[in-house]
Amino acid sequence: MSNNTATVGSPAMASVATGSRSSRALKASGNGLFNFFAGLLILFALWWLAIYVATLSPKAAQWAAFGPLPAFKAIGAMWESGLIPKALWTSGYRLGGGLAIAIVIGVPIGILIGRSKRFRELSNSPFQLMRMISPLSWEPIAVIVFAGWDQAIIFLIAVAAVWPVMFSTAAGLSKVDPAWFKVARNLGAKPWHVVTQIIIPAITFDVLTGIRLAVGVAWVVLVPAEFLGVTSGFGYTIEDARESLEYDHLMAMILVIGAVGYVLDTGLTMLIKRFSWHKGA
Amino acid sequence: MSHAVAAGPTGSKTSRAAEAAARGILNFSAGLAILAALWWIGGYLIAMNPKTQSFAGFGLVQTLHAFPGLWEMGKLQNAISASAYRLGSGLLIAIVIGVPIGIVMGRSRRFRDLSNSSFQFLRMISPLSWMPIAVFVFTAWDNSIIFLIAIASVWSVMFSTAAGLAKVDPAWFKVARNLGASTLQMLTQIILPAIAFDIFTGIRLALGIAWVVLVPAELLGVTSGLGYAIKDARETLSYDHLTAMVLTIGIIGYLLDTCCALLIKRFSWHRGDA
Repeated sequence: MSNNTATVGSPAMASVATGSRSSRALKASGNGLFNFFAGLLILFALWWLAIYVATLSPKAAQWAAFGPLPAFKAIGAMWESGLIPKALWTSGYRLGGGLAIAIVIGVPIGILIGRSKRFRELSNSPFQLMRMISPLSWEPIAVIVFAGWDQAIIFLIAVAAVWPVMFSTAAGLSKVDPAWFKVARNLGAKPWHVVTQIIIPAITFDVLTGIRLAVGVAWVVLVPAEFLGVTSGFGYTIEDARESLEYDHLMAMILVIGAVGYVLDTGLTMLIKRFSWHKGA
Repeated sequence: MSHAVAAGPTGSKTSRAAEAAARGILNFSAGLAILAALWWIGGYLIAMNPKTQSFAGFGLVQTLHAFPGLWEMGKLQNAISASAYRLGSGLLIAIVIGVPIGIVMGRSRRFRDLSNSSFQFLRMISPLSWMPIAVFVFTAWDNSIIFLIAIASVWSVMFSTAAGLAKVDPAWFKVARNLGASTLQMLTQIILPAIAFDIFTGIRLALGIAWVVLVPAELLGVTSGLGYAIKDARETLSYDHLTAMVLTIGIIGYLLDTCCALLIKRFSWHRGDA
């Protein structure tokens, strides 16, 4: 979970020469838009072609439902029947609840790891061990401990998402120049001021980077967590489409999951850029 | 993630290095001892409370007692070898596909610009949502699980490789060309040594995601592996086996992650990195 993650995410940025004129920037964003749509168009064309070729032989006729056209039609139908809004709402609630808990727990512990060497050294081995416990293996325990499935899913998301938030916060704090704390103390800052005036502005970038990683993991955990027990959400809708053999619904749901994930990830990338104060970051 | 390393000043005398290593081992063991103590207290409280007594298997002592039995029955070895096979094959496929595409992304601006939106979109499709399709396409559950692991882990390998290549000084390619390097030599003498560090960083991230995907993928269909062992323990209400498997998953994950971290350090040539 170093900072080296999928940050290549935005090579489109590279085409915007820093400090260029607005016309150049406009052209670059035009290029970016073109590439964005052309790329997606190629993807859908390949998808269509794959299904077309697969269904050429009559034996594989059932594959037709996996194509892009039925999927897009199904999105419209599922939106009107309320399936997609309901899945968005319930999965959003669980994801948001889990992430909020992860942030509330992860940021303070991360600050503690960054500030106290003793705590950092002692907590490293247990935290690394617990981090590498695959989140879904907590599931049986979560189901016993929590009365509702909703809470169990929120717990699973929180336990998966807390580590990147925690370690990113700690890594951010360790990059902060120790002289800042000395200056603040000399100027008579109280511990509270140090937190609000120095620590939080300095590590917002890293906390957001951690949250982006956390969303990535939470997104992976959300779907299998919803396979069991609940009757709403992305995972349930996929499982339901499979059992009722509605493959167009299945593909539609996959499209929705990808699109929502993309929007979340892009939104966080923009926030991270907004709060970046490291040169070149 | 390698805070322990910070304790050892670079280029110090061996006595100092030995001291730092001893300190590292002490912290490592003390940290785990604290975790074990908290676990023991939690298990003790569960066993004492008459309402939760049936869950006493979650305690530390019961969990550790479960290991010899699991080993003798062969459950532990079977679960580990089945999961290792799936994890290894999935990661291998991810590397074989991810590294070449990552190199193309790093070298060709056109490909990078065009592929970005679709790759980011595909990356954000939660891997387990491919499960129904994987089951449909592959007849064997084993192959579906391998597919799920591969599709979950290919992105970090791919993007790390591309990011690594982006950091390589373009002058190196010019020098190599001027010295008459062939494309193959360019690949083996410049590209691969330069990005080995980034590939391993990507593999470490990929392993983290694959580890998350492996367990839920094994909860369905198959009758072997770590995920199945957990499900089995829950259904038979043997909670000591359940926590023993959870602990096993944590330990193996920790070992794999540490090995990757060591490999990354070994292949690092960026000053101050890793």
